[in-house]
Amino acid sequence: MQSSAVNSSNDKETARSITFAEAVREALSQEMREDQDVFILGEDIGVYGGAFGVTRGMIEEFGPERIRNTPISEAAITGAAIGSALTGMKPVVELQFSDFITIAMDQLANQAAKLRYMYGGKGNVPMVLRTPSGSGTGAAAQHSQSLEAWVAHIPGLKVVQPSTASDAKGLLKAAIADPNPVIFYEHKLLYKTEGHVPEEAYTIPLGQADIKREGTDVTIVATAVMVHKALEAAEKLAEEGINVEVIDPRTLVPLDEQTIVDSVKKTGKVIVVHEAVKRGGYGGEIASMIAESEAFDYLDAPVRRLGALPVPVPYNPTLEKATVPQVDDIMQAARDSVHRR
Amino acid sequence: MAKEVFMPKLSSTMETGTLLQWFKQEGEPVEVGEPLLEVMTDKINIEVEAYEEGILLKRYYDEDEEVPVNGIVGYIGEEGEQVPEEKPGAGNDSPAPESTPKAPVPEPAGQEIEAEKAGGVRATPAARKLSREHSANLSLIQGSGAKGRIHAADVHAAVDGQQVRSTPLAKKEAEANNVDLSAVKGSGSYGKITRSDVSAPRAVEELQSEPLQGVRKVVAERMQKSANEVPHVTLHTEIDMEVAMELRTQLLPVIEKQTGQRLSVTELLMFVGSRALRKHPDVHASMTDDRITKQAAVHMGLAVATDRGLLVPVIRHTEDKGLAELAAETKQTAAAARNGTLPGKELSGSTFTISNLGMYAVDHFTPIINQPEAAILGVGRIQEKPVVKNGEITVGRMMAISLSFDHRIIDGAPAAAFLTDFKQMLEQPYQLFV
Repeated sequence: MQSSAVNSSNDKETARSITFAEAVREALSQEMREDQDVFILGEDIGVYGGAFGVTRGMIEEFGPERIRNTPISEAAITGAAIGSALTGMKPVVELQFSDFITIAMDQLANQAAKLRYMYGGKGNVPMVLRTPSGSGTGAAAQHSQSLEAWVAHIPGLKVVQPSTASDAKGLLKAAIADPNPVIFYEHKLLYKTEGHVPEEAYTIPLGQADIKREGTDVTIVATAVMVHKALEAAEKLAEEGINVEVIDPRTLVPLDEQTIVDSVKKTGKVIVVHEAVKRGGYGGEIASMIAESEAFDYLDAPVRRLGALPVPVPYNPTLEKATVPQVDDIMQAARDSVHRR
Repeated sequence: MAKEVFMPKLSSTMETGTLLQWFKQEGEPVEVGEPLLEVMTDKINIEVEAYEEGILLKRYYDEDEEVPVNGIVGYIGEEGEQVPEEKPGAGNDSPAPESTPKAPVPEPAGQEIEAEKAGGVRATPAARKLSREHSANLSLIQGSGAKGRIHAADVHAAVDGQQVRSTPLAKKEAEANNVDLSAVKGSGSYGKITRSDVSAPRAVEELQSEPLQGVRKVVAERMQKSANEVPHVTLHTEIDMEVAMELRTQLLPVIEKQTGQRLSVTELLMFVGSRALRKHPDVHASMTDDRITKQAAVHMGLAVATDRGLLVPVIRHTEDKGLAELAAETKQTAAAARNGTLPGKELSGSTFTISNLGMYAVDHFTPIINQPEAAILGVGRIQEKPVVKNGEITVGRMMAISLSFDHRIIDGAPAAAFLTDFKQMLEQPYQLFV
């Protein structure tokens, strides 16, 4: 991942550049300073600073009451967070690996997502569940998955997938402020990427896509780490005379359909790229949405999806890469669309 | 709604059909299944039946005219319905009436849309939207995408009149030969470019032709007659020429000293052949007017290639002549034949013929009998070959030889017996002294 590929809307010369992990920590710290009800709970997040060091140093500032180490039980952590949220607290769960969300699934799907509806709006679950996702670290099949489609399927849960440091900060602050449960995915490979992040507090509304690169020939809708692969592909395709527009939805739920539809109406061609397994992945949802939308009559090529192969993520680094869409795959798909293949 | 009557594609190779006759006049009512017209293709004549009921409103082609496959030959519809005056899409016309909205064409739009449904046009949603906006007929637009899919750009090109319509084969041919399709005029339906249009522009070399005359004409007639009349059977064998060639080597200086000519294999064959023929009067025969005549004296015909064509000069009484005499006479006669100074009578009266192609890389061939003779000997080259002798592989100087005989005059067995004797005489020439 090239940090230069990380796009920032603000290109000030003096712009402060920090990593994605630091941006997440900054958002958490700012929220916790401002709102006493915000606290974090998770495994080894205290002195150790969490599996990826995101909360490192926070226990010194906020103390063990608000940076709470928990037993190793994702169901218990999530259930505790839901309970405290119902009482008016604003818990932020750190789930060590997003693969373990399966253990917390009953709490998320049957409790967090349902309670506000079942109580007719009399109770809210204003919690955030932060969790690292994705492959590329050699962590093998049980620590490398991208399961965002699971939670995106449940009405009542919001799903965020930031791709840059500045987006991460603004979106996390919006997620904490949101009265609904929000699943906040942090891609492991993005933690060390750097980008300009304004120091002051700001939020990015959930459900607002970002056009990461403007273009006219083909639209690539990409999420998380694939945003950077798409931008790299766009850079190279420009040399071939193919002008790519890259759209980062940033949140899967709610999805900014209009930005995508407008882009497809402009280019007539679209490729949806995510790291998750293609079969049953959220790309299918985006592709279908486009086909059902006003953009249908503007489609001048089949809607193409790129996603991982339907196999458990291999440990072998070469095979791990081979299962996931790469820059060359994205370039080829774009060429096929533009050259009417 | 008037329906087109198309020239059907009646075979996989059919590109055009010739309209032989109409069974209906313009204005006549037509029933479904009634014969409408008769068509001749490269293979068959067939009656084309009507698929629609109604009035034959229009006939665009007269009898004996050629119509491209899928070309519209007429319309069937209700009385008074409007149909195009000119035949639609005949090559130089505007390729698609719908693509020039300024000239309103009555009716066909509706039918075209039906045709499109039936054909299942592959087009992107964007292309379909554009075609609706421009009233362009998708079924007449050639798609540039995968599997012929029509994209927006194709519709734009068609609307701008830049679309070139061609068959996939024509496109491939054009690419292979660097032919610009936009410069080619199509002869298919609605001006579609077919392969023959692409290959047509190639320059044709001027071909030389001359009337069939002189020796060529005689050869042509005689060969044709013999091939037509005579049931030819050709026997092949190989002869070990080791001893015969040794004999020739020994006789060469002797004969050269005596006659000034070099003894060749041809004369050896004539010498041996004459003696073999005397032993086999069945083979040494001829047939004229249903009479078989057994010959006595051997007059050997010798096929000689000349500038004017094949001539067969005759060496007479070869059974009585020695090798020196044969060498001298053969060389002289052949030279005269090549110079054109040979008197006509020396070109006729042969009783057997030898055709020697041994100077070429020819093994066996099937000579055509020089009528009215019963047989002809075809001589191939002499080549060193592995041969098995007494259970061991040795190198033999093998000559390929073929005997064509007239099966009306003789049967296979006597011909084979002659060939076997001929072979033995050449392989063991000393028996000629017995």
